Amino acid sequence: MQLILMALIGGMAAILANKGIAVFNDSLRPVIPEYVENRMSRKELAATSFAMSFGLVVGFGIPFSLSANIILIHSILLGTDIIGTWAPDNNKGAAGAGVVGALYGVGLTYGLEAIVNLFEVLPVNFLEDLGAVGSPIVVAFAAFPALAVAYQFGIKKGGFTLILTGIVRQIAVVVSPLMINGLEISINPEGMALIAGMTTLLIFAAGEKGEESNVGDLVSIFSKRVERIKSNLPYLAVMGGLVSAATAYLILAGDPISLNLVSEGAINEAALAALARAVGFVPLIATTAIATGVYGPVGMTFIFAAALFIQNPLIAAIVGAVIISIEILLLGKVATLLDKFPGIKKAGDNIRTSMSKVLEVALLVGGMNAANAIIPGFGFFFVAGLYILNEIGDQPIVRMAVGPTAAIMVGIIANIFALFSLV
Amino acid sequence: MKIVVGGQVDKQKIAKKIKEIAGDQVEVEIMDDIKAANTIKQGKADYYFGACHTGGGGALGMAMAILSSTKCATISMPAKPPKEEKIVEELEAGKVAFGFTSDHLEKAVTLLLKNILN
Repeated sequence: MQLILMALIGGMAAILANKGIAVFNDSLRPVIPEYVENRMSRKELAATSFAMSFGLVVGFGIPFSLSANIILIHSILLGTDIIGTWAPDNNKGAAGAGVVGALYGVGLTYGLEAIVNLFEVLPVNFLEDLGAVGSPIVVAFAAFPALAVAYQFGIKKGGFTLILTGIVRQIAVVVSPLMINGLEISINPEGMALIAGMTTLLIFAAGEKGEESNVGDLVSIFSKRVERIKSNLPYLAVMGGLVSAATAYLILAGDPISLNLVSEGAINEAALAALARAVGFVPLIATTAIATGVYGPVGMTFIFAAALFIQNPLIAAIVGAVIISIEILLLGKVATLLDKFPGIKKAGDNIRTSMSKVLEVALLVGGMNAANAIIPGFGFFFVAGLYILNEIGDQPIVRMAVGPTAAIMVGIIANIFALFSLV
Repeated sequence: MKIVVGGQVDKQKIAKKIKEIAGDQVEVEIMDDIKAANTIKQGKADYYFGACHTGGGGALGMAMAILSSTKCATISMPAKPPKEEKIVEELEAGKVAFGFTSDHLEKAVTLLLKNILN
């Protein structure tokens, strides 16, 4: 079943990309109308999509997928963006893209499995130690709403929110499990901390006056493009249903934070993290979709949160399709809402900035710990060295992915060292 | 000369970096990405800088929609750092809105300003 799902996701996403209905890479979305409206050739489009997406597949999607043995959505959907735009823009091309996309989905699943199996039979099995990459992030992620507050409203309010979040976390630690009418309810500290932080951020943001953010104007300028998305609603709903089902199977994750939480078995926290992240993505997806007429195959990413809350693949599929449909039907309303609360749109931007900052730090520390568990001493040395080397070399590896990548490299190095009795 | 900072990520850092390099030579304003693109369209600012994680979506999406691709250039992508030759080329081609990844923020802003100010 999982394999069929991956094939369907790959195939469907490649066709959607081929037809210019939906692409995953946010950078590719604004380029699609340039092609559709004949200002760019198919060849240029294909080259652009490859340039934009390939580095992210190799330097971001794959390392995360490997480090937790759950496929990060970027690995598959950035690949299908490339496949879809490379295939010719006709019915044959769409069919070809569908087939290659499906093969890619299956290949990715098998490929990752094969690599993991290979790791297991190596003289030094470092898979268990590799899990340490995610340990800091599954706790540290709860800090990001406070940091978003700091970006938007200054260091004082940010510091206040950070302290508040920390206190809420510790209270949850002490009072859990809660006994209510003889019923034992365990309270998750990180979940509570995240809720406290997000609530504070949203209260501050909703109260922020300021200039209008003009998203509504976009809707009127680009009404034809909004209509285009609406006309594609059935396909997008199916796509959303498929991704949602796979997420509920826990074989797919929408972002590195929920991926690591899922791999540690903290599904509800993963759902909360995915939900908070989705709030951050609403402005980006809504504005790029309205202005381009191209949607994203996972929409505003609410489907990931829903799937993790539901955890039943079949129900998740239905709910996923419904969520995507609602997102699309309400696209105009979302724009009005963003205009009414300009602070919320800004908060979305700041949530994404602060999430990636937290990920950078937490995954670097996690990568160091994992590497050092694999080869004590050498691990710290190597990850620190590689991180700075990556900086000097202008980040050939996405900064956030240095920790996981370095830890995997140390695992491989450990095996080479073992050959020469160096460990 | 006026530079507007649009895009969707690390706006404060971009603005700080511009001030740090150019000082009083340029006026910098952080704006909502849609407003920033409109400001360029109305001729009230000269250049648009924006960042996101991919260099083109949040960074440049609104500028692309409002100003068209003839005015926009993505100068860095994940794993593809900004190159000075490319920036010179894009500036000569009349591009005024530039997108880059937040990873490459410092180098991108430094190279852009160096060539714009010359």
